[in-house]
Amino acid sequence: MRISRKWLEKFFDAPLPEAQKIVDALTFHAFEIESVEKVAADDVLDVKVTPNRGHDCLCHRGIAKELSAILNIPLTHDPLSGKSDLPAGKSDLPVSVSIKSDLCRRYIAVLVRGVKVGPSPKWLRERLEAVGARSINNIVDATNFVMLNIGQPLHAFDISKIKSQNSKVNIEVREENGRLMITDGHADKVLGVAGVKGGPESLITESTTDVILESANFDGISVRKTSAALKLRTDASQRFEQGIPPELAGFGALCGAEMIQNLAGGEIAGFVDVYPRPQERRIVSVTLEKINKVLGTDLSEKEVSDAFARLGLKSEGNFTVRVPFERLDLEIPEDLIEEVARIVGYDKIPALPLEPDPSLGKPPVNPNFYAAEKTRDELMSQGYSEVYTSVFAERGERAVLNKVGGGKPYLRDGLIPGLRDALERNSRHKDILGLKKIKLFEIGTVWKDGEEKIIVGTADERGVSEKPLKPLSADKYDDLPLSAAMHYQPFSKYPYIVRDVAFWTAEKTGAEKIIQREAGPLLVKISLFDKFEKNGRMSLAYRLVFQSFERTLTEQEVNEIILKIQEVLGKSGFEIR
Amino acid sequence: MNNEAGHIHPISSLIREANRIFYDMGFTFVDAPLVESEWYNFDALNVPKDHPARDVQDTFFMKDEPGVVLRTHMSNVQVRYMESQMKKGILPPYRIVYPGRVFRNEATDMTHEAEFYQLECLAVAEDITMAHLRYTIERLLQGIFKNIEIRFRPSYFPFTEPSVEVDMRVTASDTPEKLRNKWIELLGAGMVHPNVLKNAGVDPGKYQGFAFGMGLDRPAMLRWGIDDIRLMHSADLRFMNQF
Repeated sequence: MRISRKWLEKFFDAPLPEAQKIVDALTFHAFEIESVEKVAADDVLDVKVTPNRGHDCLCHRGIAKELSAILNIPLTHDPLSGKSDLPAGKSDLPVSVSIKSDLCRRYIAVLVRGVKVGPSPKWLRERLEAVGARSINNIVDATNFVMLNIGQPLHAFDISKIKSQNSKVNIEVREENGRLMITDGHADKVLGVAGVKGGPESLITESTTDVILESANFDGISVRKTSAALKLRTDASQRFEQGIPPELAGFGALCGAEMIQNLAGGEIAGFVDVYPRPQERRIVSVTLEKINKVLGTDLSEKEVSDAFARLGLKSEGNFTVRVPFERLDLEIPEDLIEEVARIVGYDKIPALPLEPDPSLGKPPVNPNFYAAEKTRDELMSQGYSEVYTSVFAERGERAVLNKVGGGKPYLRDGLIPGLRDALERNSRHKDILGLKKIKLFEIGTVWKDGEEKIIVGTADERGVSEKPLKPLSADKYDDLPLSAAMHYQPFSKYPYIVRDVAFWTAEKTGAEKIIQREAGPLLVKISLFDKFEKNGRMSLAYRLVFQSFERTLTEQEVNEIILKIQEVLGKSGFEIR
Repeated sequence: MNNEAGHIHPISSLIREANRIFYDMGFTFVDAPLVESEWYNFDALNVPKDHPARDVQDTFFMKDEPGVVLRTHMSNVQVRYMESQMKKGILPPYRIVYPGRVFRNEATDMTHEAEFYQLECLAVAEDITMAHLRYTIERLLQGIFKNIEIRFRPSYFPFTEPSVEVDMRVTASDTPEKLRNKWIELLGAGMVHPNVLKNAGVDPGKYQGFAFGMGLDRPAMLRWGIDDIRLMHSADLRFMNQF
């Protein structure tokens, strides 16, 4: 979520530190920061809110609350600190609400009359645009502002477009084909798909004067399924998906209605709040002993109560915590332990040696792993190199349902096809590898005869074969060597060209150096592949492999290099054969 | 030349090395099925039914086998192992390490593979703390990379509470400049969620523990400077024979 530094400042009297300090504070005590961007005189942070905090931190107030706790700066302007009571309206309000599904836990409709729709003031446009929201008009902008400010999605309807002549608007929340819909029970008009999108008929336009502001609570799973089915993810649906607290709807209605009045005038004619099962306030307890026992720390009672206080978690004794309504994630003692740990800082957790546990004894040796290690070692000593190939195959007994791209959906029933393919591909690279023979093996899982099993496959010039890996028991693991490689050298993906150079010589030294010098950097491999003596002279034959990292070499340029090598060798006393 | 020894796959070498380090700390090597039930892969791990991780795009579901998936992480071993021990009447302490191949249904590129390797580690007893977690991770990474520092950052996983992300930096002077003194996000860790213990039949009121899971491809790439994750499954000796 995009968070504006200037927006955050509105929650505090004390100044906030520079952007980098805010980034560090959030990174090490709350959330990862994906990026920081300068937008005009503002800094915009892209905060990666974790799924367990989507219900309270996909808004500026949530992030401000976190910063207040982490940096220990009082949150002096907290829109959630007071009561969310709406002013009582007239009893003959032409609006009623009925909830016909448990998937809606609360629905508030506020009627605001006599508004004047127009553009938003500059400060609001700037706020919204800084975090990537588009300014529409003062009414819609007010709803978006409240959502981005406290996390409650709001929706505004034009009442004149849904009301039948002289009658009331009867808002109904009901399930239709598994989807939660907002409809007008009288006129049977669809006002919106709950939590996802409002209906086009009741859109706010320049001529709108009377507005119904919806601040509601819809079930997260239901909204997620609906928005996925409609392939429509909106800012509202993304927040409802998280499962937001129904108490928040009251604050949403209050903040939204006040803001509409401030921006567009009019008067709050009244509200309807249907809230059949009010949210219960949770109390969670944890002891200081338990906190230190889980974290491996030696925190004092004061350090812990201080962390709770900074988070706005009212605690008594040792420790009974009254959880604020918006912290739906705090349910069990371990949740409180995490709160303490991240506010105190994970750097306070020491490294404590994990001593041998006498009751465990010596670990048993895993028979499959032991057998695999032994087989690996034996095959390597015979010159076989290990490969891993894909478990996905053209054929097999079992298949996956939903592979991206769709190719090779089967799980392999043997290692042979993969190894045969690997053998063939590697055989083309024999010269560059400097190998006379390609020898491969794989120890891998296959699915055959209704079983998942581990088998060993080998591939060489005599063929490709496989056999089951037989589990082996042992007292301890063998001390086998690790890879001695230091750094991997990337190889060229361009084709290479091979040339042989053979010559007679009386004394047999020096030729290789000359070849390397004359051939230059395109020579990537040189090997002496033939050597014999005749009439007191020695015949040497070198195989040269040429390759470039940047391009495909031409026959002609390699031929020219060979001619040059032969010429210099000739001048140096080697007789080209 | 024909008698030249063959080469070990870099991941196999890392697993061998890790097992040695863990064996010395009393950890048992455990293996488990790659084709797994949704119960062990998700539900038992406190991953709710409607969690985005269970969405079709991330997980390979088996055809004509409802409720069966290709494991998306090694964490399927946690409840599987503890439950089987409890059924045998063996109570904690448990210390296990379990590396293996895991699957994510996504398009592949230089840093993403649909098949890759992970190593997980679980320790459960009456007195296993987050401080032991830090020590164990340090000891593993110290063994593989030498001269390292680690740091914890808050994170979220359904199966641990508290949960942390672990960054590592290598400080040795002979480290390639690209890597030296740079914090790299390497693994996820935390204290086993009480629900996971409960689902395995272990009493969360008495026992607690840590778990951490690390991809193996990334450490291998960092350690040897490998630039393309797809080489791991390429079976290409131009790559393999360097190990």
